[in-house]
Amino acid sequence: MAPRKILLVDDSETILQMEQMILEKSSYELVMARDGEEGIAKALETRPDLILMDVVMPKMNGFEAVKHLRENEQTRRVPIVMVTSKAEAESMETGYESGCSDYIIKPIDTLELVAKVKNLLGE
Amino acid sequence: MYRLSNLAAITPVAKQSINGESATAPRSDDRSKFYLHPGQLFGSPDGYAVTTILGSCVSVCLWDPLTKIGGINHFLLPTDIGDDLGSSLRFGDLAVRELIEEMLDLGAEPHQLRAKLFGGACVLEAFRSRENHLGTKNVKIAREVLDAADIPIIGHDVGGDRGRKLIFHTDNGSAWVKQL
Repeated sequence: MAPRKILLVDDSETILQMEQMILEKSSYELVMARDGEEGIAKALETRPDLILMDVVMPKMNGFEAVKHLRENEQTRRVPIVMVTSKAEAESMETGYESGCSDYIIKPIDTLELVAKVKNLLGE
Repeated sequence: MYRLSNLAAITPVAKQSINGESATAPRSDDRSKFYLHPGQLFGSPDGYAVTTILGSCVSVCLWDPLTKIGGINHFLLPTDIGDDLGSSLRFGDLAVRELIEEMLDLGAEPHQLRAKLFGGACVLEAFRSRENHLGTKNVKIAREVLDAADIPIIGHDVGGDRGRKLIFHTDNGSAWVKQL
């Protein structure tokens, strides 16, 4: 069985590396994008099983990117977890209205991230 | 107990009422506001409007009608797997016990406590019927701990496929939920 594919969208190299380090242990195939626009393009190109999406990014923020992904037939059902700072968490009402599936707060906790990812992948 | 300096403003919007209370959004003007993050709990004998946003996470709200003390938690995972993971309040079994302890420390009467339960959504249709998705497990552990402590659950809005915005008033135990 091919490994499940996860798209990581974040403009912070540190966060991307951290997510990569945590998720590589579970043998997922990881694809990376550095802003909302690239996130949408990579989602359409690689058809991930799940997306981790930062909120504040250049070019297009995470909420807008989620909205675009939900409007596209090819990506409308992909689970999307918003990765947000504490300060941004209060705006998660907007995140859910955009169509995200769940959210986690930075700093990223390994157990929490893995639990949410596995849950949304039905593992 | 966690207290934040960055308090959320509550915008009145139509919300689903719990237990036949008014469907109109609560007026929170005369209450202090508090935003509860995942992995935190909050309890107070004073009037607070506590807001939190739930996906597969669960919040237990406790209230003592005699002393008018109220408290709420927001946990992410059902049980502590035994690692040294810092904030135990992220785990349901410990977070609910800690909330009960906090209420008693604040002066609530153990036999007066009543609970309301919120969250535990499963946003993916394909997994909703599964009994082992995270939301279901979170709700289950909350029910188990409350049951073991003999605290009745007098209202709930759990499961389903949508996230929730919850506002809990610590001084009268009322709760409003908006499906997101």
